[in-house]
Amino acid sequence: MFDRDIWQEIFHSIRSNKLRTFLTGFSVAWGIFILVLLLASVNGMQNGFYDQFNDNASNAVYIHSRTTSKAYAGFEKGRRIQFTNDDVDYIKGSFKGDFEFITPVFERSTSARYKEETGSYRVMAINNEHIFIQKVNISQGRYINKSDVVGGAKVAVIGKKVATDLYKKEDPLGKFIEINGLPFMIVGVFTDDKDEGAESMIYAPITTYQRIYSNTSDIDQIMLTYNPDFNLDEAMDFSNKITVLLKRRHKISPDDQAGLRIWNTAEAFNDIGQFTGILQIMSVVIGLLILIAGIVGIGNIMVFIIKERTKEIGIRKALGAKPKQIIMLVLLESVFITALSGLIGLLFATGLLSLVGPLMDAPAFKDPSVDMSTIIIATIVLVVAGMLAGLIPAIKAARVKPIVALSDK
Amino acid sequence: MIEIKDLHKSYKMGSNSLHVLKGLNFNIKEGELVAIMGSSGSGKSTLLNILGMLDELDEGSYTLDGVPIKNLNETKAAQYRNKFLGFIFQSFNLINYKTAVENVALPLYYQGVNRKERQEKALKYLEQVGLKEWAGHLPSELSGGQKQRVAIARALAAEPKVLMADEPTGALDSQTSYEVMDLIQKINDDGNTILVVTHEPDIADMCKRIVHLKDGVIVEDKKVDQVRASQYV
Repeated sequence: MFDRDIWQEIFHSIRSNKLRTFLTGFSVAWGIFILVLLLASVNGMQNGFYDQFNDNASNAVYIHSRTTSKAYAGFEKGRRIQFTNDDVDYIKGSFKGDFEFITPVFERSTSARYKEETGSYRVMAINNEHIFIQKVNISQGRYINKSDVVGGAKVAVIGKKVATDLYKKEDPLGKFIEINGLPFMIVGVFTDDKDEGAESMIYAPITTYQRIYSNTSDIDQIMLTYNPDFNLDEAMDFSNKITVLLKRRHKISPDDQAGLRIWNTAEAFNDIGQFTGILQIMSVVIGLLILIAGIVGIGNIMVFIIKERTKEIGIRKALGAKPKQIIMLVLLESVFITALSGLIGLLFATGLLSLVGPLMDAPAFKDPSVDMSTIIIATIVLVVAGMLAGLIPAIKAARVKPIVALSDK
Repeated sequence: MIEIKDLHKSYKMGSNSLHVLKGLNFNIKEGELVAIMGSSGSGKSTLLNILGMLDELDEGSYTLDGVPIKNLNETKAAQYRNKFLGFIFQSFNLINYKTAVENVALPLYYQGVNRKERQEKALKYLEQVGLKEWAGHLPSELSGGQKQRVAIARALAAEPKVLMADEPTGALDSQTSYEVMDLIQKINDDGNTILVVTHEPDIADMCKRIVHLKDGVIVEDKKVDQVRASQYV
């Protein structure tokens, strides 16, 4: 197979038939080009989708209280459910090992002031574990820490928008911000390049904030992350168990969908995964169909080549070429053309991607690219394709009777 | 060298069967130069195809250098062709994108001879046919006579037991024909067994024996006084 002579034969044949080789190769290069672009596009969509959620931990679970829609246990429907710190403690106590981080959330819109500048912002009061759930990106200073929460410190972490609104060019770190008429010291600034709206938020310790609101223990939301070792089923099982227990605890009918809302990221990720999975399969199928067209094209041209070379093959057989040698000659030629032109298609496609890819940054489309495995698979597909395309013509060639080379009188 | 016994061959043409060779018997000894003559349709090409293992016989037997030629598969036939036979065709049948020396080296390639030895041998045989300085030329750059000489060198290169020439002068003018026949005679003088299929009496007269075929039977098989082609060259 790696005989120098057979390659010389192949190059001879290719060189003396440039147009034919080009036309053959083009259809394969085109097929691979499209296949790679398709796969890359799906990849881009997938990246885009995940990116949308990547702001938060991929194993986050959010629990909101709502209003009941069914009468249950002596309560009328339309009852407002209110979570308290006890609910958080209850989850902590009941699901040891099932969760990673957990925080109560208390949220209010308030006005904030620094010197003459004022603005209206949303304050989210949380504990120190919150940063691991929503992945807050600290650009300056630090986040709310455990001693802030335990001691009920009047500290705040402000978004970049708040900083530029109120502090202009001043460095906000260590300065005070007046929230609800009370001074909070700024210990950190955060940014969020996915969501500029988030940058006009203020984070404060939950204990401090609950005290401001007349020592309440009410909370609006519970955020947690489940054990990252969980698979999808375990994760869903976990959030279902929380739902059941919280419903029982707050006397919500088990089949009341409205009483509380629990949102498990795993589910969303799974949906996206399935969606892009289907897209990926579809694109592979479409790409392969295009490739098949290319292969049929090559097969077609190879059959034509064999017809054209019937006499030559007859001569070779008369000179003692074995059928195996003839098959090898034809097969290698088609594998060589397919593989080479496929690689050219691959190069063009990846070249185009690396040129255009970085320019594309639509919300649901990011970084379209193909990974190594795709390239390897494509290469294998190509070689196999070349074999298939060459096989029938090769067998046909091997069957050429040397008699035809003689019967030319 | 060649033994043919009661050779029959017929071709099916729809429901009819065309009996082409009707029981041929003859032997060719080593070193002979035999002309097979006959008009078209006499069966001489069919006979050559069978002798050349390009076609199979229906009945009878064919022994080549003591080896019975029967029920050969493609691979075996290819091996035997390569080992036993050298072909010379009317239309030369050189591979047009290969140079003269590459064409001559081709049967050696199929014999599994290594590159260097192939090149040497091919050049040696080109020299023998007087075309050493044309080694690097493509067939399209050669005249008809030169092409046939390259083809003869190619047939010789495999060092076959028998050379089979199918109308070797059919595409050449008389002067060139004589040159080619001169070459064939010289090769025969070296002891090679050669079979020439022709319908030209003057070419046949340059052989040592003429087998005359008509309607599938041998009507005449005689030794002749060889006319040397060199006198016309």
